[in-house]
Amino acid sequence: MSSLFSTSLMSSFPEDLEISGYCKELLFFFKQRYVTFVDCLILAARPVKVCQNCSSSYSRLQDIYRNISDQVGPGNESCRDSLLSSDRLMVVYQLYSNLQDLWTSSNCEKCINNRSHSLTNDTLNFLSTLNQTLTCFEKYQLGNHTELCKSCKKMYGDVNKLYGRMEKNDTMCIDLEDAMNMTRRLWSKNFNCSLPRDETVPVLAVSSFMLFLPVIFYLSSFLHSEQKKRKLIHPNRARSYTRLMNIQDKQS
Amino acid sequence: MANITKKVSWSSRPDETGATGETTPLLNGSEQPRHSRQVELMSGEGAIFHIGRHGAGDLEEEMTTEEVKSEGRPKEIPHNEKLLSLKFESLDYDNIENQLFLDEERRMSYMGFRCLEISRWVICALIGFLTGLIACFIDIVVEQVAKVKYNVIKENIETFTEAGGLSISLILWAVLNCSFVIVGAILVAFFEPIAAGSGIPQIKCYLNGVKIPRVVRLKTLVVKVCGVICSVVGGLAVGKEGPMIHSGGVVAAGVSQGRSTSLKRDFKIFEYFRRDTEKRDFVSAGAAAGVSAAFGAPVGGVLFSLEEGASFWNQMLTWRIFFASMISTFTLNFVLSVYHKKPGELSNPGLINFGRFESDVGDFFTSIFHSSTVLQAELLLCLMSAVLFCRYVHRPCLQVMEATLVAAVTAAVSFTMIYFSNDCQPLAPDNTEVYQLQLFCADGEYNSMATAFFNTPEKSVTSLFHDQPGTYNPLTLGLFTLTYFFLACWTYGLAVSAGVFIPSLLIGAAWGRLCGILLFWCSTWADPGKYALIGAAAQLGGIVRMTLSLTVILVEATGNVTYGLPIMLVLMTSKIVGDYFQEGLYDIHIKLQSVPFLHWEAPATSHWLTAREVMSSPVTCLNKIEKVGTIVDILSNTSTNHNGFPVVVQVMEGDVVILCGLILRSQLIVLLKHKVFVELARSRLTQRKLLLKDFRDAYPRFPPIQSIHVSQDERECMMDLTEFMNPTPYTVPQETSLPRVFKLFRALGLRHLVVVDDENRVVGLVSRKDLARYHLGKHGLEELHLAQT
Repeated sequence: MSSLFSTSLMSSFPEDLEISGYCKELLFFFKQRYVTFVDCLILAARPVKVCQNCSSSYSRLQDIYRNISDQVGPGNESCRDSLLSSDRLMVVYQLYSNLQDLWTSSNCEKCINNRSHSLTNDTLNFLSTLNQTLTCFEKYQLGNHTELCKSCKKMYGDVNKLYGRMEKNDTMCIDLEDAMNMTRRLWSKNFNCSLPRDETVPVLAVSSFMLFLPVIFYLSSFLHSEQKKRKLIHPNRARSYTRLMNIQDKQS
Repeated sequence: MANITKKVSWSSRPDETGATGETTPLLNGSEQPRHSRQVELMSGEGAIFHIGRHGAGDLEEEMTTEEVKSEGRPKEIPHNEKLLSLKFESLDYDNIENQLFLDEERRMSYMGFRCLEISRWVICALIGFLTGLIACFIDIVVEQVAKVKYNVIKENIETFTEAGGLSISLILWAVLNCSFVIVGAILVAFFEPIAAGSGIPQIKCYLNGVKIPRVVRLKTLVVKVCGVICSVVGGLAVGKEGPMIHSGGVVAAGVSQGRSTSLKRDFKIFEYFRRDTEKRDFVSAGAAAGVSAAFGAPVGGVLFSLEEGASFWNQMLTWRIFFASMISTFTLNFVLSVYHKKPGELSNPGLINFGRFESDVGDFFTSIFHSSTVLQAELLLCLMSAVLFCRYVHRPCLQVMEATLVAAVTAAVSFTMIYFSNDCQPLAPDNTEVYQLQLFCADGEYNSMATAFFNTPEKSVTSLFHDQPGTYNPLTLGLFTLTYFFLACWTYGLAVSAGVFIPSLLIGAAWGRLCGILLFWCSTWADPGKYALIGAAAQLGGIVRMTLSLTVILVEATGNVTYGLPIMLVLMTSKIVGDYFQEGLYDIHIKLQSVPFLHWEAPATSHWLTAREVMSSPVTCLNKIEKVGTIVDILSNTSTNHNGFPVVVQVMEGDVVILCGLILRSQLIVLLKHKVFVELARSRLTQRKLLLKDFRDAYPRFPPIQSIHVSQDERECMMDLTEFMNPTPYTVPQETSLPRVFKLFRALGLRHLVVVDDENRVVGLVSRKDLARYHLGKHGLEELHLAQT
């Protein structure tokens, strides 16, 4: 009965009362751009190239959302209420805000020029240095790893330094972090180029010397000083001599 | 030597009294019968030949000639914990309701009393505010200096990891540590030895009613604050929380007096509060403010000063104390939020922040089951510290050297542990507050041993509570607990000012987290962070043995009331288990210092002891109108350093001498200084009447008797004590049991209790040391010896 009623309700009212044609159009564009962006994101998920590949599609998505939320269409018509907040679920708003959060946490803003939507010079510079290092890795990959460690060390060090500087400047986005992480893992785990622990003897010697000092100190002060003696005082009591005996007697 | 001087002093006595007799026959008449009576009284115990006045009283008891003969030289024994020292005096908590006091009260208007009440509140606000500011100062300075230090070492280590020569970094670390610690130790050892340690035992004694010399002075505060900064930055296994309590106490004592004797500045304000009663009340507020600034626990602070200090529950005082601690934590919070450039966020209520815990208590109840294992560690710590306490190092320069060595060893041990640790963990995002070292870990990872060792202890505690499961591996934690445990034990007895709260929290947290991780392997529901909290609570509870206040402090520090029950259960178990083996750390400390400390209750099996057996007897009494020469002689007798003198008056036919009041040494000294003699008053009619203000002005450092000059003529004058003595001292009959006397002392804060017979004649005098010497040992009731230190 109720379903019948609802269908009859839908048919009795024209659809454009619910949502106007202009808004419908906007919704359609939103759908298209959303799908493009998500497509791009998924393809760029591993290894992470989100900022490099998807920034333009994100900015287009942003534009259309801004259209929906802020702009006014023909006839002073705003789709903000009808599309974004007319029901409990708020599908459009939720979908968009999810992606927005994702984008914010990726920190891509820091690698991208706001106007041209292209990568910043710093980022490009870093990526090219990193690529050089990776080519170096490739070159020596098959041979002895110690050789690789020796010959790529300078390049790798440069990348590391650059990375450190960018980290301090706070111009770091997920792409660079991920690329650097991978390189570091290659360097330390795959090629085993971590620093060797080869100073065990001097470190041990110095620390055991320090540990030995207190032993000497306590020994010498033990031998050269004596504990303070305390003078006992005998207080005046009404029955001072029998008292302690009393205690013991009464206890037993 | 000692007995010879004593004999001399004794032999000189009869002549003196003889002389008195000749010049003042009237008084002599009142005295003579008393002697005969006392000989009578004593004859039962073997004919002790007493002539003249008989010494006894509060502090130092003199030997009778017989005792000296039979004992020979006074016995000398090595220092141990079963002694009571003579150097400690009681506070005069009891109000002296003499004539002057009544006059003043009559003169004061209703408004005057209102103003006093308001100024009490103002003082409490000031105490809270200044304590909070001191806490901020310590926190900020430590953070800044530690930042510089750790960054220098970190850079150095990074360079040398690559280039080789890490032993140089080790030396650099050790040298930096040592230089900070040397400064701190020199300050403490040479300038103010009382500032060593956390100061909590000292404040505890002060609130208990014992005057510890120099404990609440400005100089102590300055040394304490600088010392804490040095030792925390110096990387010792110490915290900056404990000393806050002492600092709060000093601030309170200073502010409430409105002057500083060290700086010789008198602001002429709050003069009414210049006496022991008011000062002690304010010091308890200061201690509460200190706790509340240290842990962000205002309620815990109030409970701390009630549990450890105040012997009775005064509602108005409690409310004021609470006000002080609230102000203190808010000041700290506000200033730190401005410092962190987030004004208004108010997220730093205390020096140590445990951070937020979720209120999922399920884990807790399971974790309590294993907490008994946590207790093992805490027991050991108690034993260790007791052993390490009896040090052979007494001279200041040796103490400085010792502290330096500990600093160097701490650096060496930490470095070695970090060097050989294989535990590498991936870098967490934006964890910039913690100093991370990479060392030999793969790039992009850091050494997790270094998070524990290469940081200030507060930060290590927080990371143990909050880091994700899997941040530490069990071996790292185990090694860390063990090493840090020994370091903390060793550090505790050093002559640097530092607290034991943080090291014990840290050990407990590491140990608890270890247990959590081990359980995590068997089942997947355990959150190691919560185990760390439980472990920390158990460890701290085992060491300091506080009950109610510690529970509330920890609950407030975690900011979650639902954790109350688990924390309470853990503290209960740890106290029960701990008490089975050893007393709490602070109690051990107090015992080793031979302080006459009155515990909550008298020893359980002491009801059969009566006042007659407890009291000191015979007593040095003064007449209501006494000769100046006699008073000066009594006061300057070094072997009888009495502080309270019952005042007696002769009634009827001259053979009954009854008690009519009690006068203190400090009052007598002020009287002598102002030359309040009967003859002078008669000759100089214009002489100003002595007011209560004159006594307050001399407080708290009354001049020694030697500095008061009394001429030969003046010695013959008379002094009328009627106006100045306390006319209604507390008295008990001879048959009163020890627990009754004890209750009077504790609840009223008494200093002297006169024991009288049926006819109100003075029989003896009970003082704090007479009571404190009884304690329940392994073989029932034991008696402590009095000793000179």
